[in-house]
Amino acid sequence: MIECPSCGRRQTPRLSCEQCNAPLGAELDCFAALGLPQKLTIDLLALERLYHALGYRVHPDRFAAANAKARDASLRATALLTRSYRTLKDPVARGLYWLERKGQKLAENNKQVPPDLAELVFDVQEQLAELTVDRSDELEATVTARRAEVEHALSDAQQNLAHNFASWDGGRGDEQRLVADLKNILSRIAYLRTLLRDVERALENTNAA
Amino acid sequence: MGRILGIDLGTTQSLIATMNDGAPGVIKDPDTGRGLLPSVVAIAPDGEVEVGARAIELEPHLTVEKDGRVSAIGFAGGEFGAVIRSVKRYMGLGGDEVAPEDRVRYTFADLSGPVMRFRVGSRVFTPPQISAEILRALKARAERALGEKVERVVITVPAYFNDGQRQATKDAGRLAGLEVVRLVNEPTAASLAYGLGKMAEGIVAVYDFGGGTFDISILSIKEGIFEVLATNGDTHLGGDDIDRAVADWLLAELPESVKTDRHVWNSARIVAEDAKQRLSDIAETEVVIELPGHTIRKSLSRAALEKFAEPLITRTIKRSEMALSDAKLKPAAIDAVVLVGGSTRMPYVRDQVRALFGRPPLCSIDPEEVVALGAAVQAGVLMGTQGDLLLLDVVPLSLGIETMGGVMERLIHRNTTIPTSIAENFTTAVDNQTHVDIHVLQGERELAKDCRSLARFKLGPIEPQPAGLPRIEVTFLIDANGILSVTARDERTGREHSIDVKPSYGLTDDEIERMLEEAIDLGDQDLEQRLLITARNDAEQILGALHKQLGEWASLLEGGERERIEEGVERLERARNEADRELIATLVEELNELTTPFAERIMDRAIKDALEKKSVDDLS
Repeated sequence: MIECPSCGRRQTPRLSCEQCNAPLGAELDCFAALGLPQKLTIDLLALERLYHALGYRVHPDRFAAANAKARDASLRATALLTRSYRTLKDPVARGLYWLERKGQKLAENNKQVPPDLAELVFDVQEQLAELTVDRSDELEATVTARRAEVEHALSDAQQNLAHNFASWDGGRGDEQRLVADLKNILSRIAYLRTLLRDVERALENTNAA
Repeated sequence: MGRILGIDLGTTQSLIATMNDGAPGVIKDPDTGRGLLPSVVAIAPDGEVEVGARAIELEPHLTVEKDGRVSAIGFAGGEFGAVIRSVKRYMGLGGDEVAPEDRVRYTFADLSGPVMRFRVGSRVFTPPQISAEILRALKARAERALGEKVERVVITVPAYFNDGQRQATKDAGRLAGLEVVRLVNEPTAASLAYGLGKMAEGIVAVYDFGGGTFDISILSIKEGIFEVLATNGDTHLGGDDIDRAVADWLLAELPESVKTDRHVWNSARIVAEDAKQRLSDIAETEVVIELPGHTIRKSLSRAALEKFAEPLITRTIKRSEMALSDAKLKPAAIDAVVLVGGSTRMPYVRDQVRALFGRPPLCSIDPEEVVALGAAVQAGVLMGTQGDLLLLDVVPLSLGIETMGGVMERLIHRNTTIPTSIAENFTTAVDNQTHVDIHVLQGERELAKDCRSLARFKLGPIEPQPAGLPRIEVTFLIDANGILSVTARDERTGREHSIDVKPSYGLTDDEIERMLEEAIDLGDQDLEQRLLITARNDAEQILGALHKQLGEWASLLEGGERERIEEGVERLERARNEADRELIATLVEELNELTTPFAERIMDRAIKDALEKKSVDDLS
């Protein structure tokens, strides 16, 4: 139970008081901070609307004249709100956060390129290296085509992520398998994002030169 | 809650604004009718301070003596103090951080400490103290215009100001007797002024090129929420730098010794600024600077000015592209571009901004007033009168700690929405270690030595335990002003840990307290000085009158009266050379009383004489 620093009402921890809406300054997980159920599938537009509405409610700008306790609660509630929104807004950050809450980490598994991606990553890196010396239109066209390939793979991985999220939400499947899947997908996305960024940079440099 | 005002504390100009019936307005000086206060502070060796246009008048300027020597004329009566412009360039800097080009402009006390200091005569001043004078002048102006006390303000700062520069701005407010309720980033404030009920929802880029700083901010405006997506900038890049380039060219043919003379340089810079402003309206102008036995007369075209400005503007465009990239947006995604700052009056700047974003920029609100107006809007939000607006700004620079091998580990990334916090666990590296040292850094570089040191914290005392066992959770919190605070908690006991904070730069609380006390002492001293001068003037007056009367009207004196009066005169003459103003006042009073009968007799006689003369005149 936590006491509201503005009206004194005792209640279970939440972002803002059930009675007077003032921020409580409680420590909450990202879902609870936004008043969301513990589900991985999130409608981004609704999330943004929620973020804005709660921002109006708890932001320090609304408590400039309040007592020190209420101001402090407002500061902590807003820091929690912005952090939670940032985490949940990006599906990858959301997935990583979920793994973390399951006591899992991506780091150890992430050192190796996912096997089925190895060929693509290797080929593209080689062509990018070539592109720094050979700026022929032909090579540029090849790399541009490669970009589409990477984008496609990324979009596939993102769809897989959405499926994985739905499985968690539906309580389908064995948790150990879901964790392994999630790790696999997140590591793929991390690789593909880096690769895509490298390709875009290389193409931009070629265009600028 | 009382009124909160908005202040734009600019490099070259400062303004104060307030909300009136839901609309922001700049408060004008009741005497001059001017809204802009030049950010210029003159300090005489005796500590007397002038701000704004009056300070500019005191600025040393060059004159040529009859023998051909050049001399600088400043404060009347000999040795002049300092006239400080662009103090904002020095805010929050340690001595070693002052840019080379900023080192030649003034005399400094020492450039090794955590705060750079100006030397004026035998006294030293920190940048927050100088800025406080500007704030005091704005406060006084607003109080006269509004007829009420001004105590609470919002002050704008460049979005790219680091923690130390923000803290220094807050310190300046405190030294001026103001409560700084909020620091707001200048480009964000500008977007508020534009957005107030007028701007449709969408993505806005604010290009803010002022006298000394450059900022670019990309915002999303939706449901009344002004959310900054990314910001970038350079706190040492502004119109000042264009003036400097032009001044260099003006003085190019002169020997180095003359060029680097502070007064020659300052005169050239002022002339350059003037020419730059003229060239916004005309294509070519003549630039003249008078030197001993030598007048420099050069013609400057707009095209030539643009050549000087080009490398600087290119830097602003690069920074703008970086902000777009951080916001993950292409220039075409921007719905509106807003121009802020006096330097955006240059047609060349407008052309470059238009070229980058592919659309004409907005400048319907005076670019020199828009930031102050936005600050007033934010003050309205804080007063609760603008309930339909909310600003969500970001931290401009990443924040982290130094880890093994001198590497910077980022804890809070740049462009993270504020307020924000992050908790990090720390433990000991060796058995029975009782303290953990934490070095907090700000910046984007990989190595700690390349980032700016914010502070060093000493955690502890920790109970002696085997290495790695203690768990101390340290929370780094950046508030809505973009200023960091740190708390620590023992994970096992849940107890709050004490933290010994050593800010790497800036003033400590004790130093600020001392400055406040000194200011109050000086205030009393100033008053005492004025009262003494008044008392001495009174003494002069009565002594002068008596000297005359004792000579002219000696026949009216009664027995022993002359002796008694002369004794009083002698005592007052001795006392008026002393600094005891109360003694002087008492003796003046006594002498006044003593001579009243004599004075009355004189008056009588004078009237009689006048009447007699009149009757004589009538007879003739």
